[in-house]
This record gives sequence, structure tokens and C-alpha cells, in this order.
Amino acid sequence: MNFRRHLFSGIVGVLVLGFLWIPLLMTVVNALNRDELLSRWGGATFRWFGVALQNADARNGLRASLTIALATSVLSVVIAVTGALWWRKAGRRARRAFDLLVYLRIVLPEVVFAAALFIFLSRWGFPLGTLAVVIGHTVWASAYATLVIQSRVIGLDPSLEDAAADLGATPLRTFRRVTVPALVPAILAAGLLTFTFSFDDVVTSFYLAGSQVAPLPVVLLSMIRFRIGPQINAIGLLVMGITIVTMAIVLLLVSKTSQRSRARFSTPDAFQQGPLVEEEVR
Amino acid sequence: MGRVQVGVAERVESEQTSSWLAPRQLLVAPTLAGVILFFLIPLGTIVAYSFAQIDLVTYDIRFGWTLANYRGLGDPLYFHTLLRSIGLSVGTTVGCLLLGFPLAYFISRQSTSWQRILLVLVLVPFWTSFIVRVYSIETLLQNTGPVDDLLRALRIVSGHFNFLYTRGSIAVGIIYSYLPTMVLPIYVGLERIDVDVLEAAADLGASSRRTFLRVTLPLALPGVVVGCLIVGIPAMGEYVIPEILGGGKTLMLGNVITAQFLDVGNFTFGSSIAVALIAAMSLVLFARRYIRPLEGA
Repeated sequence: MNFRRHLFSGIVGVLVLGFLWIPLLMTVVNALNRDELLSRWGGATFRWFGVALQNADARNGLRASLTIALATSVLSVVIAVTGALWWRKAGRRARRAFDLLVYLRIVLPEVVFAAALFIFLSRWGFPLGTLAVVIGHTVWASAYATLVIQSRVIGLDPSLEDAAADLGATPLRTFRRVTVPALVPAILAAGLLTFTFSFDDVVTSFYLAGSQVAPLPVVLLSMIRFRIGPQINAIGLLVMGITIVTMAIVLLLVSKTSQRSRARFSTPDAFQQGPLVEEEVR
Repeated sequence: MGRVQVGVAERVESEQTSSWLAPRQLLVAPTLAGVILFFLIPLGTIVAYSFAQIDLVTYDIRFGWTLANYRGLGDPLYFHTLLRSIGLSVGTTVGCLLLGFPLAYFISRQSTSWQRILLVLVLVPFWTSFIVRVYSIETLLQNTGPVDDLLRALRIVSGHFNFLYTRGSIAVGIIYSYLPTMVLPIYVGLERIDVDVLEAAADLGASSRRTFLRVTLPLALPGVVVGCLIVGIPAMGEYVIPEILGGGKTLMLGNVITAQFLDVGNFTFGSSIAVALIAAMSLVLFARRYIRPLEGA
């Protein structure tokens, strides 16, 4: 590690990393802390995990969140892949308009968007609940997914598809056998990203879930508000476990498929040339 | 659905004549339909609502292009909240930059394998439940919590720290939560700087400080600007952090808007605050036009 040459940034960097990790370590410690007020160490216990697993609100919340996140990630990927493929061959102006719509969805404060969708849906009598939350999440999650897929689409070599066509493949077959396999790593990455964003979201869920459904983060927020303390850490830790295992599996898949597709397709620096970056250089 | 399918048939027929009606154009349909129906129209609705009046008994909306809602924003309660949100957003962005830049710089100067490890260390907190992390900060900062104990043991504070549920604790929460978002774009910018450029500057006799100020920093500026935007803008509308770390006492626009929509039910006034938030945000983006020429330099 090149530490001595960059002493100042090294010291600040290590302190900042510590700052990022302390609350996480606190979560782990407090999940095992017997003291109910969590103000000091009261000895170790697994009690909170038991309490958390017994908590029906949390269990229903977890189920609702998983459903919503899965639906959001699938919809977002479909929107992003079709959108990015259109964008790839669109004219300059059409591309700009498309990019603008992507950035607007990312940049607009979530509270404003959630409130706007809330009024719009309630005005037309659309019921709040799981579907409303999925719609809300998909609107902004698909924008992030689009950025990820675009960064891969830029690196796609069109001559591969031309070659497939020259060899007699129908457009559909070219799409299935050439385009999609080259996009698989980006599709997995985008799916994972949107899944976790949706799974972790508070604000849109809070506005659009209504009174019948409560996704996990909304359940946690009301538990914090009503000071139902310690089991939150245990729930957080259990969820963290699920997330990390899923992440590990997907990362493994991504690295495997990207190795394979790199062997088959030349995609130089696909991730280095994202549209955001291109925009900045200009 | 039926209508879309008719559209396909029509488009297939005219495929040869005009590229605008090629079936390929259908690829943009999911994006466009979703964005128009569930993004642009709702935004139009909220703007229209902000100029309408609501009857708080029957919840009937009368559209009348009145400025009454915006006049309500002049109330010190809301005006101060607006100022506080802008102040916290700017302050926490600067805070994130001051903490994030050295970290990003440090990471970018390491060997590739160390860079990977350090990036994972930055990202793992980002991938764990946001609300649980904010709760964790609440327990860290509470009176008789670890930070309070430490400060009292070191005799830095007498009595209690009394830091939780203030603007300061909200700022700590925002900086903590948004730091990775600041570090990543800066890192990407710094990592790309060609080592040869830095060596050239050194060969030409520039001190390491001068090289940093005249070469590294200007090349890193685009990443810094992206980082500041993706931290500052969401921070302005933050809801969860002030809700938990502000203890319902110190509010930001996000809380006021949510209260109007979900507790009071005053949709039109809530809409006007939301539009005011967009206006404040646009100011930031507008200011960027003037920063742009500097970025190119």
C-alpha cells in the first residue's frame, strides 16, 4: 500500500473509512446487546433475533419488499434494455431528449416525485398499494438501469451483429444470440442495482403503499418513531445477510458471464465510457 | 395493449418508406409510455395543484390559478424551513467534498488490487439498509450513547453532549449517508489521470503541491461537480434523515411536504412547497451553467 507518499490523504482517508464503518459495527454490536436502551454494553444475547423473527409486521414487510423489488427490477431492466437499444441507433437530437428524460428522473428530489405520483394516482382513483409502489420505484429505478445498460451498449461492436446478419441470422435471432448475450453482465448489474434501490427505498414506498401494505423500510421507520428499539438492529443484520448473499451470487454470475462474453466479444472499456462521463468530457 | 398491436401492424407496413415509422422505434415505447404517464403528467399535475385551492372539508379541488398557496410560503415556519434545507444541502455537500476528496485521492493512488479492496470498503456500507444505518447514528449520538460517553470522559463537554435532534446531527446523518455518492465520481475522475501527465509536470520542475493544484485538481473537477450535484440535490429534499435525527423538531422541506400530503391532506399547499423545492433546485443547476466554462479550462 502506497501510504507514505500520500500521508495527508491517507490519514483522512482512513478516518473517513472508519466513519463509514462505525455505524455498521454499532448495528452488529447492538443487535447482540442485552441493554434495552442500547446506551451501554449489557452483555451478549441472541434475544433480539428471536423477537425480530416473531415480528409479524417485519415478516410481512419483508415479503412485500421482496415482491416489490423483484417486480421493479424486472420491469426496470425491460425498460432499460429496450430504451438503450433504441438510443443506440437514434439520431443526435432524439438521443439528447432521451438522456434528458433519464437524468430528470434521477435528479428530481424523490419527495417531489412521490408526492406528484401520489396526487396523480389518487385523483384518478388508482388504489395505493403494492402495484402503485412498483410503478413509483420503476420510474426512477429504470433510469439508473438505463445508465448501466447504455454504458454497455456503447461498447457493443455493431460489426458482430452485421456479421450475424450476413451469415443469415434473422434480426430476432441476431438479437437473441448476439446482442442479449453481450448485454448479460450489464443486465445482471442493472437488475441487482434496481433490486437493492427498491428494496431499500423509504420515501416512494411511504407515499404510495397506502394503509394496507407496509414494505420493510416503512415498518422500520415506524418502529424507530415509536421507539421499538433493539430488534431493529437484528432485522437490519438479517436483511444485510440476505443482501450480501444475493450480491455475492450475482457478482459471481457477472464475473463468470463477463469473462465468457469478453472471450467472445470485444468490448473494450465498456464501463469506462458511460454516457454520464461522455457528457462531462464534452 | 390492443392499440399498441394495431400500431405494430401499421408500422410494419410502412417500414420501408420512413425510418421514423420503423418497428425499431417501438423499442422506445416502454420508456416513453412510463415516463409520460407516470412522470411527466404527475409533475404537471403537481404544478397545476400548486395554483389550485382545496376545500379541506370535502377535499374538492378548484383550479383557479391563484397564488394563495405561494403566499403561504412566506410564513416564517415554511420560509425558514426552505432556508434551512438549502443551508443544510450546501453545508453537507461541502462536508462530503472535504471528506470525500482525500479518500478518493488516496484510493486512486493505490495499486489496482488495493483500489478494489478500498472501493469495496466504501461501497459495502452503501449496500446495507439505509434506515438501519440512520438508526445506528441515532443510537451513537444519543445522550449516554458512546459518543456522549467518550466526550464526557475526555472532559470535552460538561453535562451531556445534547447533539442529537439538532441541525448538527441531521448534517452528520446526511454527510454519512451521501459520502459514497461523492467518493465514486471523484475517484473515477482521478483514477483516469494519466501518470505520465503528472510525471511531465514534475520533470518540468513543478513541486508536488503545484502539480496537484495545477494538474490534478483541474482534471478532477468534472468528477467533483458530478459528485456535488448528486449529493446536494437529493440532500435538499431529504425526508428520512431529518425525520429520525431531527426528532421531529428540526424540519426540512421533505418533512413539511410529507406532513401536508399525508397528515394534513392539504394537497394544494403541499404542492406549492414541492414546486418551491424544484425551483430552489433549478437555481443550483442554473448556477452550473456558469461553472461549466471553468470545468473546460
